[in-house]
Amino acid sequence: MYYVAEVNEADCAKYNCKQCVLFCPEPNTLMYHDKNHVAWVNFPRCKGCAICVYVCSDLLKRNCIQMVMVKAGD
Amino acid sequence: MGLEYVRISPGFEKYMPKDYVDLVQYGQFGKEVDVQQLGQFKELVEEHPMCAGCFMAYFIRVFYAALPKPEDTIVIGTAGCARLALSQAAVPFIYGNYGDTNAVASGLKRALNIRFPNKEKDVVVMAGDGGLIDIGFGMTMHSWFRRENFTTIMVDNEVYGNTGGQESGMSPKGVQLKMAPKGKQFEKINAVELAKTAGCVYVAKISPTNPKRIAKTVRRAVLAAREFGPTFIHAYTSCNIEYSIPTEKVLEDARKREKQDFGFYEWMTDEVKEFFEQLERAPQEVKA
Ligand SMILES: Cc1ncc(C[n+]2csc(CCOP(=O)(O)OP(=O)(O)O)c2C)c(N)n1
Ligand code: SF4
Ligand code: SF4
Ligand code: SF4
Ligand SMILES: [Mg+2]
Repeated sequence: MYYVAEVNEADCAKYNCKQCVLFCPEPNTLMYHDKNHVAWVNFPRCKGCAICVYVCSDLLKRNCIQMVMVKAGD
Repeated sequence: MGLEYVRISPGFEKYMPKDYVDLVQYGQFGKEVDVQQLGQFKELVEEHPMCAGCFMAYFIRVFYAALPKPEDTIVIGTAGCARLALSQAAVPFIYGNYGDTNAVASGLKRALNIRFPNKEKDVVVMAGDGGLIDIGFGMTMHSWFRRENFTTIMVDNEVYGNTGGQESGMSPKGVQLKMAPKGKQFEKINAVELAKTAGCVYVAKISPTNPKRIAKTVRRAVLAAREFGPTFIHAYTSCNIEYSIPTEKVLEDARKREKQDFGFYEWMTDEVKEFFEQLERAPQEVKA
């Protein structure tokens, strides 16, 4: 079991924002969907650092991304 | 190296790994990307084993997106954490012996000038504080004294991170580390002033709190090195492991250090300033 980030897409889509995407340390991991204007996480690449949560919740007060527990194979 | 080299030979697309096909189709080869587009194109750097939340890894991610011509660039690294990611990018990477990066880069850049006299080939050294300012100090300085045309980027985590926490000349005075239990006895070395004195034509100090600014700084350093002489970026890239920073607070720490002692600083010679004034003004003139 380990943590990965998960975007609440309905909430995120309200903002037309991609700030968390610009601060993830991992390449090709926290992505942005051009048409739907939402961030999304490529789970197998996420290392669970929660920097994206700091950006969305602490800096922007938007609370659209959280850490969730996954099991190997999920 | 060059665009022809990265392209897939017709008919071979279906045999190439998907990540490579994506890189050629949706990546940054042959075009300059805006760093604000991160997350919307296939990045040059692939999965790598640097620690979760490592801001050195973050800086490297933005660095690759900022390269003006990745298909014509060679990156030189060495022992230390950065090479764990540098070696996983679709840009030629040379592993210089620890301490030797700037001597290797000097020879390489000169050889590229002879081999490709009419093409721009960029050379960038990226190495740690230990690699560049302690053990590689002599090579770093001499590449600057000799005015070699390449960029040096010091990813300063203020410790020997890769070998478990010895102090470096860049550790702040007084700091206690796993293998420096008495506390650092002397001041952090002023690398930026050394670079100016030793002959760099463009020097910057930066904390990675603003991707646009990182990208602009990297781009300027690479372009100025092509035209005028050695360039240097001193980047604060914290080690959350050796400095026990909870990963979710790594950006907060970078912002704190920016206010404290890593405020953005940029210096360049008058001719480099004039060069950028012209270069960066040009696109607006076209629009008007
Ligand atoms: C000639 C030589 N001396 C010592 C080492 C051992 N060594 C490997 S990495 C390292 C320290 C790395 O510190 P730094 O350059 O600051 O990079 P960091 O890992 O902190 O990013 C050392 C001493 C080596 N590989 N080669
Ligand atoms: S910071 Fe929050 S609102 Fe902005 S793109 Fe990321 S998840 Fe969406
Ligand atoms: S938890 Fe870290 S690695 Fe995962 S998406 Fe967020 S910032 Fe990226
Ligand atoms: S040891 Fe420190 S600098 Fe090295 S990858 Fe881990 S967090 Fe980054
Ligand atoms: Mg170091």
